[in-house]
Amino acid sequence: MTIDTEVQSLRQVPMFRDIDPSRLKLLAFTSERIHFAKGQRFFSQGDAADAAYVILEGCAEVLLETPSGPVKVAELGRNALLGEMGILSDSPRSATILASEPTSALRIDKRVFLELLSQFPQMSIAVMRELASRLERMNAQVLARAPEPA
Amino acid sequence: MNRSLFRYIWRHSKRDQLLIFAVVLASLPFYYMSLDLPRRIVNEAIQGRAFEQGRQTAKFLDIGFSLPSWLGGHRFQFFEGIDVGRLHLLFGLSFLFLFFVLINGGFKYWINVSKGALGERMLRRMRFELFSLALRFTPETLRTVKSSEAATIIKDEVEPIGGFIGDAFVQPMFLGTQAATALLFILMQSVWLGLTAAAVVGVQFIIIPRMRRELLRLGRMRQIASRRLAGRVSEVIDGMEAVHVHNTARWERAEIAHRLYELFDIRFRIYKRKFIVKFLNNLLAQLTPFFFYAFGGYFALQGRLDIGQLVAVIAAYRELPPPLKELIDWDQQRLDVQVKYDQVVAYFSAEKLLPEHADDHTGEDVELVGALEVKDLSINDPHGGILISRASLHLDLPAHVALTAESGAAASMFARLIARRPIEFSGEVQISGRDLSDLPASVVGRRIAYAGVEPILFPGSIRDNILYGLRQQPLTEAEKGELDRRRRFEAGRTGNPSDSIEVEWIDLQRAGFGTREELDERIIQLLGRMGLVDDLYRFGLGGAIDPESHPDLAERLLEARGRFHERLSGEGLSELVEFFDPERYNLHATVAENLLFGVPTSQSLMGRALVGDLHFRQALDRADLSADLVRMGARIAETMVDIFRGLPLGHPLFDQFSFVHADELGEFEAILKRLGKSGRAGETVEDRERLLALTLPYIEPRHRLGLLDEGMIERLLAGRVQVREIFGRHGRDDIRFYEPDTLNPAATDRDNLLFGRVNERVADARERVRLIGAEIIDEMALRGGIERVGLDHQVGPAGRLLTSPQRAGVNLLRCLVKKPDILVVDGALAPFGEGRIGAVLDIVLEETRERTLLAVLSNAQRSEHFDAVIQFRGGAADVNVAAARAAGQPEELPQAAAE
Repeated sequence: MTIDTEVQSLRQVPMFRDIDPSRLKLLAFTSERIHFAKGQRFFSQGDAADAAYVILEGCAEVLLETPSGPVKVAELGRNALLGEMGILSDSPRSATILASEPTSALRIDKRVFLELLSQFPQMSIAVMRELASRLERMNAQVLARAPEPA
Repeated sequence: MNRSLFRYIWRHSKRDQLLIFAVVLASLPFYYMSLDLPRRIVNEAIQGRAFEQGRQTAKFLDIGFSLPSWLGGHRFQFFEGIDVGRLHLLFGLSFLFLFFVLINGGFKYWINVSKGALGERMLRRMRFELFSLALRFTPETLRTVKSSEAATIIKDEVEPIGGFIGDAFVQPMFLGTQAATALLFILMQSVWLGLTAAAVVGVQFIIIPRMRRELLRLGRMRQIASRRLAGRVSEVIDGMEAVHVHNTARWERAEIAHRLYELFDIRFRIYKRKFIVKFLNNLLAQLTPFFFYAFGGYFALQGRLDIGQLVAVIAAYRELPPPLKELIDWDQQRLDVQVKYDQVVAYFSAEKLLPEHADDHTGEDVELVGALEVKDLSINDPHGGILISRASLHLDLPAHVALTAESGAAASMFARLIARRPIEFSGEVQISGRDLSDLPASVVGRRIAYAGVEPILFPGSIRDNILYGLRQQPLTEAEKGELDRRRRFEAGRTGNPSDSIEVEWIDLQRAGFGTREELDERIIQLLGRMGLVDDLYRFGLGGAIDPESHPDLAERLLEARGRFHERLSGEGLSELVEFFDPERYNLHATVAENLLFGVPTSQSLMGRALVGDLHFRQALDRADLSADLVRMGARIAETMVDIFRGLPLGHPLFDQFSFVHADELGEFEAILKRLGKSGRAGETVEDRERLLALTLPYIEPRHRLGLLDEGMIERLLAGRVQVREIFGRHGRDDIRFYEPDTLNPAATDRDNLLFGRVNERVADARERVRLIGAEIIDEMALRGGIERVGLDHQVGPAGRLLTSPQRAGVNLLRCLVKKPDILVVDGALAPFGEGRIGAVLDIVLEETRERTLLAVLSNAQRSEHFDAVIQFRGGAADVNVAAARAAGQPEELPQAAAE
């Protein structure tokens, strides 16, 4: 698997969809390819956020550590971007993520990622657009769940 | 050093100069013969004058000479000669000519070598003397002297002086006699013409030196300006951090540019002057023939001089200018060198130096215990402020004494005074009845140690720096070999010391240890207690074991490697590390590492320089790899240009990730264009080399450009075989190849243990490998050995490769290991930081048990561990014994009281 196939994967990530191929290549090139064995953690809840990951193959589950033990809240599959909120907001990890099968992922270093954002406005805009649309979706969800006004 | 260069040269090289001069004289008859023989060959053998009047044979090799007729004309005959025929005479004389040519060559060789050796010996003597003088610089001088200027003087400025010394006396005598002979010859032909020639020569000798005076002044200016330039450049480099922090590069550039302009201006003026002098010189030289032709011709026409004489005079005059010109050149050189010498001597003038200590080698030793008696001590700071005023105190040593001051530097000054650092003071300081300032330097060096704020480290290993204080005199004799004999002989002839640096200098006994190993162990222990043990371990892993001197350690490390590999495969973790295997390509190592399959020990095999190595390239060609690698390099360059375009120059991502430096991107773009435009023919050899170099750091799993397929890997392995073969055939010793089951002496301990490359693709691989490695090292009790290797870690210039606490640790240990009677600690603890000062102070107290410690403390907090506290307050010194060990054992209390 070469950098070109990774670029294909990155293109599937909504946040990176509109970015120039050569920038995506730079993003891929400055990232590391890492393999996780089944059950190995990407990171644990409360860790400092130092990187985001894009799953290239395999899948991972998101666990919330609760007083009564870890609760699985989501499953992430191929081309999923994870951990990006932590590096953007500079807050500790809000959940634990572990590989539920042998998984390979692209590790995007926080420092490098922020460096690229500050260098290429196009990338920043793409990230903002994605965050805005997430917010919009969230608003819609909140609205949908809100009790109908009497 | 002598004020006059010539007197200095003469004093130290009289004998050699005379010997050379004698040999020059002795060579003259042979020289004359070799000039004379061609005439005889032509006249006697070829034209046959020796065979006139029908003679069939002629005398060959008749050796003798006739006295001039006014001495009776008697002929002395040493050898009658043999009768030979015409052909034999020709060959005989020709071979005789060859013989004299050889003899002359021999003479010339001997004279040149002797002159060279003479110059080099004097140069060595001068450099050594200057260095010795530099060791005696007074503290005031040291504050203003720039180290790089002194270095320039010792290294560069005396160099031309050395070159001149061989010619200093011989050249003028030799050329002078030649010129005088020619002049005498002219005079004998015609007094008037002779006088004319002499007059012109006289004018040359009077006017030219006068004109050169300005040249000398400029030369002096040039020397000072270029010395300052050297000083300034090194200042900027030493202070690079300040330049970067304040972004003053532009100012520094302007500053240096200004200096360069001044230097240029001076040199340009020198050139103008020099060539005008040359012009005049040539004019005067040409003027003489004008006189000869005009007036000589006039005399000839009048019949007062015959034509033959005139021709002879002109011929003789042709002999005159070359030696004259050389003589004038010599004079120029002499003045030049004299200026340099004066400058050098002025730099090391007597008022800048401490008096010479005659007692340094007396071998006298005094134990510094007993009463420390201070009477009426006054110390002022450099600006005249009073630090200590008429203070008196009495202490019985050994004792642990804390020095504190309410404010200012009084405590520190007192500490420096006791450590016999150069301090101006009045009053009396005595230790066991001896005046402190009378103690010979050898006793001070042995019995007192001073750990100041600024650790002074020399390039070398941590161990070298710690043991520096034990290196005061050679302890063993050098082996009496031929090499050593020659070394001593040369040292004797040049006023250098005959101490060898090959012998043992480390005084283990003084440190209280029998072997280096024990001492090492103790050092490691103490460094560990100072909190530096992890650093040392890390240094050790990055260092290399010398299997020759530590075979046992090497063997155990090898065993640890085996165990490490077993552990990994036993726990199913083999994927963490890909081991080195001569038969297989290591995917996690670079292309260069795979090709070399060894550790280079010379810079020429490291990094991009590798492509310039002839044998390496030969191996690539043999394995048909060159073209493939160039193609691969082109693909890398293409990708780099593609993805890094648009990043501003100097962006951190370049340095971190790119194969190409930011400023090379454009160049590679051009190379790719050349490559694309006209195929193979468009690229230059240099292009190919640069592309090839790009492939060297490539690691497929990391860079993921998909450039290594099976076929390429096969060929790279073939290349590895070729490298090994070709390097082996040429006996290259600047690479150590990896061999399974042996330790690679050039590789780091870490690499020797791992014997492979970590698979970075596995999450957390590096950390997991580190932990397993540490486990095994502990299991096999290898940690100590590795820490010992850590002692070999290089500290860099001025210890810059160490952190501040590491430097402070080395500095303090250097003082501790020599077990001084009095240890003075003045600010050396500060770099350890508040957290660790207590622990370090405990070590110091413990290590100086039964001996004296004077420690400057910033506050009285820690003084409870001391026997006594001297507090400096408003110029007075209060000795407080009560504070010390208030509840401690009273019998250990020293007798101390304020007076």
